[in-house]
Amino acid sequence: MLFPTVQFAIFFPIVLALSWALMSRPRVWKPFIIFASFVFYAAASWRFCLLLGGITLGNQAAAVLVGRAEDDRRRRLITAGAVVLDLAVLGVFKYYSFFISQEADLLHQLGLGVPLPLVTIALPVGVSFYTFQAISYVVDVKRRLVAPASLLDAAVYLSFFPHLVAGPIVRAREFLPQLASPRDPDNVAVGPGVALIALGLIKKVVIADYLARTVVDPVFAVPQAYGGLDCLLAAYSYTAQIYCDFSGYTDIAIGLALLMGFVFPQNFRSPYRATGFRDFWRRWHMTLSRFLRDFLYIPLGGNRGGPLMVYRNLMITMLLAGLWHGAAWTFVLWGAFHGTGLCLEHAYGGRFRLPAWVRWFVTLNLVVFGWILFRSQSLSLFWTFLTRFAHPGVPSLWSATVIVAIVLVIGLQLLPAEPLMAVQLRIERLRPVVLAIGLALVIVLVSATVPSQGVPPFIYFRF
Amino acid sequence: MSRFSDGRIRRVRARDAVFVMFFAGLILVLLQGASIRKSGNELKPGVERDAVLAVGRPAADIADGLPFAEASRKATAFLEPEPNLGGPGGFQQAAGAAGQLGAVTPDAFDPAAIGAKPPPRRKLKTLLVTGDSMVEPLDADLAQSLAPKGVHVISDAHVGTGISSTLLVNWGKLSAYQVKHDHPEAVVVFIGANDGFPMPGAGGKEVECCSAEWAAIYANRVRQIAATYRQNGVAKVYWITLPTPREPARQTIARVVNAAIPVAVAPWAAQVRVIDSVPIFTPGAVYRDSMKIGGTPTIVRKSDGIHLNEAGSSLLARNVLSSIGKDFTY
Repeated sequence: MLFPTVQFAIFFPIVLALSWALMSRPRVWKPFIIFASFVFYAAASWRFCLLLGGITLGNQAAAVLVGRAEDDRRRRLITAGAVVLDLAVLGVFKYYSFFISQEADLLHQLGLGVPLPLVTIALPVGVSFYTFQAISYVVDVKRRLVAPASLLDAAVYLSFFPHLVAGPIVRAREFLPQLASPRDPDNVAVGPGVALIALGLIKKVVIADYLARTVVDPVFAVPQAYGGLDCLLAAYSYTAQIYCDFSGYTDIAIGLALLMGFVFPQNFRSPYRATGFRDFWRRWHMTLSRFLRDFLYIPLGGNRGGPLMVYRNLMITMLLAGLWHGAAWTFVLWGAFHGTGLCLEHAYGGRFRLPAWVRWFVTLNLVVFGWILFRSQSLSLFWTFLTRFAHPGVPSLWSATVIVAIVLVIGLQLLPAEPLMAVQLRIERLRPVVLAIGLALVIVLVSATVPSQGVPPFIYFRF
Repeated sequence: MSRFSDGRIRRVRARDAVFVMFFAGLILVLLQGASIRKSGNELKPGVERDAVLAVGRPAADIADGLPFAEASRKATAFLEPEPNLGGPGGFQQAAGAAGQLGAVTPDAFDPAAIGAKPPPRRKLKTLLVTGDSMVEPLDADLAQSLAPKGVHVISDAHVGTGISSTLLVNWGKLSAYQVKHDHPEAVVVFIGANDGFPMPGAGGKEVECCSAEWAAIYANRVRQIAATYRQNGVAKVYWITLPTPREPARQTIARVVNAAIPVAVAPWAAQVRVIDSVPIFTPGAVYRDSMKIGGTPTIVRKSDGIHLNEAGSSLLARNVLSSIGKDFTY
């Protein structure tokens, strides 16, 4: 079920009302919210619910066993087993077809047969996110950062529908304490919740989908049909699109959770304000960054062991970050690009004292370059896209609306935070009836911009 | 997380949260009730559709009785990205023509089929590639091949639409709009994956898929669309049949859709070519994920068992280009 659909607009108010009605009785509320979350997920496919159920049961069993084990070696073994199984599930559903195709090509070139059947496997929506959450749960139990939860609590944590299909990746120690006692019905951040939902809809439907439809999709599909100026516009348009699409989804997810009394971690913090790669990854998809830091980079050794080890750890982390986004070489190379940026920053960052605006400008344009690779449908199309810059051509896609959209998306992130926060707080403090009217009007305006093709899915649903 | 612990944030009661959602919903019913019903009608039969229509039908009845919906539509018309191409009207002419005995014309004969001299090939300037989601990424493949040769390739996919359902997009209206707007010399059509909806037959009674009567209604609609695209013989149309999908229920629909297409375009074999994807991807109408391309085993379908993936689309594009190359130079 997509957030910006009529189905969800009917589903959520009913679930919200019942959730608060049952909140004071956790023994009824928890099964209810699990049921509602599975109904939400089953809209994609009821078969996916079996996988989610299996992941939940398997990881909960591992967490309980880890919690009971006194011996540290046994704890490590059980945790490793759970992590391996989670990654195996992810690997099969997400990467089987990719690796088999690559293997088939290689073996065919060597004149050998194809040992494994070439079949396609449906990718369950959200599997990349809830397997990572499951891993973080078991590992945090092993590290004694959180106690093993009850089965009901673990099921609520892993299946909670606002974050189920595209994050944010909420850690168990952030969410489980919120389940320890019923949410206070007299203390609900309604204003921020509604404001975030409205903002998310505008970002996704009005800005992101518009840029995709008018500039990004046509140019990235056939870059050779466009001149360099149009390709340049497409690169910056995609930079704005992916931010609005993903942060828009996150805003809606966080807003929905707030209305239900739960607080999710922040996932974006003005990423296009970054003045370096490290700064970028502290602002972009923050919950994935910290997951990779805590469960991959630091266990590999982190910043310990000398520069070469640090570079190794950074490259492994970022290569896997790229691969996590999808089974394609463009994603892997995108990860490698960012890994290289991080390594160079680590090696030389302190030697050059550049003005902040120069560092920002360079970082932004390197990030834009990375997005070209990320968005390209293949390496050959990526190369074709780059070669178009040698042929400026007549710009056919430039329009005031597109330029304003790009400038707005990047420019607002450069403004000082406090004035924007003050405006945001004013909106959030409006009376409920004004919030309701505002939300309805935003939905009406947003709906008017939707073409006959409907609303495309969020970009990160594909991951 | 700390931002929501900010003491400046106004905290209200949970019932205010519920009030906001339901009051906003009420406003939306008044302003967009008919859209809610329309959204429900566009869904495939099932629990989801029933749930949406349970809200949508009374919402539409309420909205239709009040002036707010029309006022809202007019006030936001400037934001609409395209004209309203849904709803009834586009296929009335086709329904009226049923039963009449039309004369066979020379256009019914492909010159190559009867050993006649084909007309000289002309330079292709504008190609329209259209259809439902099946046309992606075929449109990109065709554009990648033709755009560098100076052909203006217009990609106009309408995902989720079908010929048998006019709620979202009426293909009779859309095809007329496309021809008027784009003036294509050639049109590639790949559609049918979302078909199988009941259509009004003689006397206005709904005919369920997939009887001969349904096939005839469908073929009449295809005929009208093809007639629009061929622009009185000025343009060429390349209509692609559906490769056999994986699910048995969809296979039934695809079989009828594919049978209707050649029947529909028979009067204009000289200008409307049927590119049959079934023998290419699913010989004998037996579904398969993979096939050998150039001797290499290759996955050609997406995981949904319906669409072609990049490799499959690339292969189809070569077939389409081969057909286009018989009529045009580029």
